[in-house]
Amino acid sequence: MSSDHVLVCDNIVRRFGGVVALKNVSVAVGRGEIFGLVGPNGSGKTTLVNAITGFYPPQEGRITLDGQQINGLKPFRIASMGVARTFQNVALFHGMSVLDNILMGRHIFMKPNPLASFFYPWWARKEEVAHRRHVEEVIDLLQLAPARDEHVDVIPLGLQKRVELARALCAEPRLLVLDEPMAGMNQEEKEYMVRFILDAQEALGLTVLIIEHHMDVVTALCDRVLVLNNGQEIAQGPAREAIADPRVVEAYIGKPRHAA
Amino acid sequence: MFYRLSGTYHTSYEADRKLWKIPTDRWLVVAVLLLALLAPLYVSPLYLGSYVLPWVIWSAAALSLTLLMGLAGQLHFGFAAVMAIGAYASIHLVRFGVPFELALLLSGLIAAVIGAVFGGAALRVKGLYLVMATLAMQYLVDWVVVNVPAISGGAHATLRTPAVSFLFMPVESLAARYWLALGWAVLLTVFFMNVKRTSFGRALVAIRDKDFAAAVIGVDPFKTKLMAFFTSSFMGGVTGAILAFCFYRAVTPEQFGFNVSIQLVAMVLVGGLGSVIGSWLGAGFVLLAPIFLTNLVSGLAAAGWVPVSQNFLSHLPLMIYGAMIIGFLLLEPLGLAKIYDNIRKYFLVWPFRHARS
Repeated sequence: MSSDHVLVCDNIVRRFGGVVALKNVSVAVGRGEIFGLVGPNGSGKTTLVNAITGFYPPQEGRITLDGQQINGLKPFRIASMGVARTFQNVALFHGMSVLDNILMGRHIFMKPNPLASFFYPWWARKEEVAHRRHVEEVIDLLQLAPARDEHVDVIPLGLQKRVELARALCAEPRLLVLDEPMAGMNQEEKEYMVRFILDAQEALGLTVLIIEHHMDVVTALCDRVLVLNNGQEIAQGPAREAIADPRVVEAYIGKPRHAA
Repeated sequence: MFYRLSGTYHTSYEADRKLWKIPTDRWLVVAVLLLALLAPLYVSPLYLGSYVLPWVIWSAAALSLTLLMGLAGQLHFGFAAVMAIGAYASIHLVRFGVPFELALLLSGLIAAVIGAVFGGAALRVKGLYLVMATLAMQYLVDWVVVNVPAISGGAHATLRTPAVSFLFMPVESLAARYWLALGWAVLLTVFFMNVKRTSFGRALVAIRDKDFAAAVIGVDPFKTKLMAFFTSSFMGGVTGAILAFCFYRAVTPEQFGFNVSIQLVAMVLVGGLGSVIGSWLGAGFVLLAPIFLTNLVSGLAAAGWVPVSQNFLSHLPLMIYGAMIIGFLLLEPLGLAKIYDNIRKYFLVWPFRHARS
């Protein structure tokens, strides 16, 4: 497809044994777009994200990032090509501080090497400081400075999710995949998160693919959405229209009973 | 320890990432280093040779192992075999005419390559299965060393280390051997702390904590684990050579048996996984506590305070030692390093109660 699409999924099929989790799903995410992935539990949203990031490669179909095929590559290769993601249940490194977790996001630009560590003052220090500078910009953007030196398992969930977002942002991703960034948050935390995502998108010119259950968040954030049900596309288009589609309403809350 | 953290500000990222950020800490390090360097002057040769020297060397060994077990989270129950490779390789290299300094480096590399080959094969499995795979390495290496006369000189042979000198200092007198071992242990300590503050160390910890999350930010799990095996085995190999030349001076296969591997794991666990000071404390505890307890119990028995049979008396120190290990791990699963840290924090804010790291 045309070059203004960052991510193109073409007829993706993913089976787990006899279960077909994704049935010929196609989606194209444009550059600079915030694209929503919506659907009831078990509809295949996370499976699609896992297919894109390489954890469950699709059995059929083709996934391209800026025209390069990425399906079949290992997750770390896909990450180094510029796909960053966050997880539904926070996946931070518990043995590290907030700062070190975010520094991990710079990993694809760094060259870890025991010799460089050994000759720290002559070799690794320059690299560390340069990347620290970049990390501090992201810390500023997401207002994480007060938590910088905390251990990551003692900060509240809302903050942990923000740290994970910061870690993903540090990779300067071509495509940022957010898997339920607001899960388990209260209204205030949700609003903060929406603001941070919009700020980051504006400041860094991101392309975002986001899975979200809260419809207020979806309509506030997303340019377009894809609605999945039982692994199939049931609607695609601008957020408000797609969500108002009768088949989408049916998938979520069932058929209206027409009482006489 | 009786100082405050307040009033210490860092104005650059370099300063914020220093190993010892607080001036008082730096003075403390200098003082400890001086004390260690001057030990041959004020410690009697008996204590220096049979307590301090082995403690320094085994601390280096524990540091090598904890890089793999503590930072990278890969269990290794055959680390004595890695040290054996280093020890035997260095002796044969020196006999072959290689200068000692180079032989140390080469023996480390040989141990690293063999360790990484075994590691690469073992890394297809995780957790307990990895333990079994590394155990296989222990027994394979043991078997090869014992059964290949070219390596061990025969099943029951003892291989004497040839006379060598390190940077024109003959490694002969007790002090010289101690200084060489101390130099290596200090080098490893600084290296370990540098690893912890650079991307290499972070990648290791990432793999240990959550391997799928590490992969999703671009860490190659297999390559990183292999690097951990290689680095750790290199450190272990050179430590094995140092152990042979500075402490044992005559090497037999039994010195690197399975029980030694277990002892090393105990040092790492009791000290605290992945901790620098924990490696020193753990090695000290595992090595010295049994000796200390034996002396204590026999002293008490001689004074007539322990009225038990001679047979029971010989087992008593080991029983107390075992109880102490269990006690420490129950009291503080993160090991002696955490206990040290708690005490330090207590005094940092004393007379107040609560500390923020």
